[in-house]
Amino acid sequence: MMYDHFDNAVKGITDKLNQDPHGINARKKYVLELSRLGKKLYSKDENIAWCGVTAPFDLLGSMGVTSCFVEFVGAMLSSTQTAGYFFEEAEDSGFATDSCAYHRAVMGAVLKNAMPEPDFIIGTSSPCTAGLAIVENFAHQYKKDFFLLNVPQNYTQDAIKYLSAQLEEMVRFVSDHTKRPLSKQKLGIALENFNASSQLLKEIYDLAKTNPSPVDNNILKDFGTVITLLMGTQKGIDICQAFKDELNHRIKTRREHASKEKIRLMWIQNRIQYPFPINEMLEDLGAVIVVDELNDVTWDPMDPDNPFESIAKRMISIPFSMDASERIKHLQGLAGAYRIDGAINPCHWGCRQGTGIRGLISKGMKDINVPVLNLEIDCVDSRNLAKGQIETRVEAFLEMLS
Amino acid sequence: MNKKIGFTCAYTPVPLIEAAGFSPFRIFPESKAPDQAGHLLHDNLCPHVKKVLDRALEDDLPELEGMIFINSCDSMRRLADAWHEARPDDPIILLDLPSGINSLSLDFLSKEYERLAKTLFKWNNESFSTKKIKDTIARWNLLAASVKKIEKKMSRNYFPGIASKLQQIINTAATDSTDKALLMAQHKIDPEESPKGGQSPVFVFGNLLFDPKVYDLFEKWNVHVTASDFCTTSRFVTPVDITADDNIFRSLASSYMEQTPCARTMDTTKPGSIAQKIVQRAKESNAKGVIGFTLKFCDPYLARIPMIRQALQKESIPFLMLEGDCTMGSMGQQQTRIEAFTEMLGV
Ligand code: SF4
Ligand code: SF4
Repeated sequence: MMYDHFDNAVKGITDKLNQDPHGINARKKYVLELSRLGKKLYSKDENIAWCGVTAPFDLLGSMGVTSCFVEFVGAMLSSTQTAGYFFEEAEDSGFATDSCAYHRAVMGAVLKNAMPEPDFIIGTSSPCTAGLAIVENFAHQYKKDFFLLNVPQNYTQDAIKYLSAQLEEMVRFVSDHTKRPLSKQKLGIALENFNASSQLLKEIYDLAKTNPSPVDNNILKDFGTVITLLMGTQKGIDICQAFKDELNHRIKTRREHASKEKIRLMWIQNRIQYPFPINEMLEDLGAVIVVDELNDVTWDPMDPDNPFESIAKRMISIPFSMDASERIKHLQGLAGAYRIDGAINPCHWGCRQGTGIRGLISKGMKDINVPVLNLEIDCVDSRNLAKGQIETRVEAFLEMLS
Repeated sequence: MNKKIGFTCAYTPVPLIEAAGFSPFRIFPESKAPDQAGHLLHDNLCPHVKKVLDRALEDDLPELEGMIFINSCDSMRRLADAWHEARPDDPIILLDLPSGINSLSLDFLSKEYERLAKTLFKWNNESFSTKKIKDTIARWNLLAASVKKIEKKMSRNYFPGIASKLQQIINTAATDSTDKALLMAQHKIDPEESPKGGQSPVFVFGNLLFDPKVYDLFEKWNVHVTASDFCTTSRFVTPVDITADDNIFRSLASSYMEQTPCARTMDTTKPGSIAQKIVQRAKESNAKGVIGFTLKFCDPYLARIPMIRQALQKESIPFLMLEGDCTMGSMGQQQTRIEAFTEMLGV
């Protein structure tokens, strides 16, 4: 079923791109590449690793491993409105409805045999305890070997050394499974690709800061987290380049949404994954999400001569790895750089990591005079969605901002 | 009265607090303070974290010289974050606790424990002394041995009141002093009465169950607690094998990581082994059934309960799963279910 879904997506998007050979179509190219990754994951002839969100996908890719974080599948099931069936399976097996629905969806898929069996599993302690617990369940269920990367939350020399040493051990673990040693040359290429992609990301985000912004509410949706799956590859660079070209083109041709921009917003943490026309609604009211919290480059360039330490620093630098004060500082920095008028925090049900600091985030943003709308919504499970209520609150918030 | 250091997690080595000249004060989530933690954090966090924060916000705490937090789970991390707001004047140390057990994580945790020890001595203007740490560990180990002895007795026979007394001892170690707890263990615990029959032997586990009165209630409801595995029961009194390593902090790290099974820590070589451990402990303690008592919104347990249920089912060990907050009040609501469970188990 999933293989067919990705296969159809690849065919459909390829057809559309062929019909518009001169168009930039960055988002379509991006979704096409992700669908290709999905197809590979389900193709049964690859070395597959299911991972935590902050796993080093560039390093794994350089070792010939097709890898992905499990929440990607949860989001995909939600966006295609097939998650309900899997939630029920997980809940019937005892996974509580109080847990994060990204995990419930994907666990249901495991229990229903709708996930490709991995060769091994790489868990990460960041971003969340729940994510780590769910990949342990994966390993238990599939009876596969499990490697765990502990991402410390204090950015200290000891912490960096500890994570670098774990990465080296992970390489040995992967080699033992794939029977292929790490090729320094291939890793070097992956890190160079990663650096080139990171540089383009910075440029994309700088373009998004333009006033009015060339972005619309969809173009960079969930971009920062998911693009990491591709950044160690040439394809990743091509996709980033396409986004940069698209934003430049929009600025040049003054073709936008941006012309209607009255209110500049920041979106905190995850977007809503299932079809819910909040982006269109914001657009109708003249509000543009100019920045998502996770669309940022928080790391220095990777050093191919010191790969493990660079990757370790990158993993700790992600705002979710460190404590709330660092995360809030980061949000405040983005708020200033993008000159936003307000922020929306969807407070995803079941997320102790992000939603758990709802109050502290509101307070931190208030300190810099940025109002925050806290929505109580499950970003993945739409079964209890109070659509009308959310719409009313969004409208009232925008009215207040304007 | 000694100056107190507050803490919230069972991975906090009490001997380090005492060696630095402080008294330990584990902040239990028990308070009449109004619910306000949700404003600073969110309501979907476990009642443990929320109630402890309520206590901080309401100043329902003794005078504290500092706070130790361990990033054992996201909710605990959030508690540490909120503490800065709730009590900005408290000195705070936050330790990074690895989730998996291997030589790298033991090295790392030993450095974290060393950082903790040095910080505590500094907070008390004391010069750092390994000897003092070894002395307090020796007394702590005597306590741990007494607790083990009592647990052994409990697993063999039903002595009314013993479970509750054991909890009082452990709570004394958590909120007062190892020496007092040791004294209680040595002098007060010997059952005056002979063992009784008529109760259903049950192993209980979960995250927190610290009120001694809960164990009296269990007995009223025909439960003979053969052993327990909570971060507020014997799991808290982790013996430290000082012969494990020349480095005292590494000994501490390996003892706490390896001898303290808890849902947030995993043996990556055996994913899901928490389930096997619970089966094993239930069997070793001669229990006929298992009751799990976990807190709402606790991710580490929520995600492992299905595996635990499966493992118990495979061994045909009856299992009752209860969810709530950690108060006596919520216990009352469980009476019918617990009584029905023990009736089903028989004696
Ligand atoms: S939403 Fe929160 S709990 Fe869910 S995967 Fe993301 S960080 Fe983890
Ligand atoms: S382990 Fe569970 S009960 Fe303990 S603090 Fe974390 S979420 Fe709360």
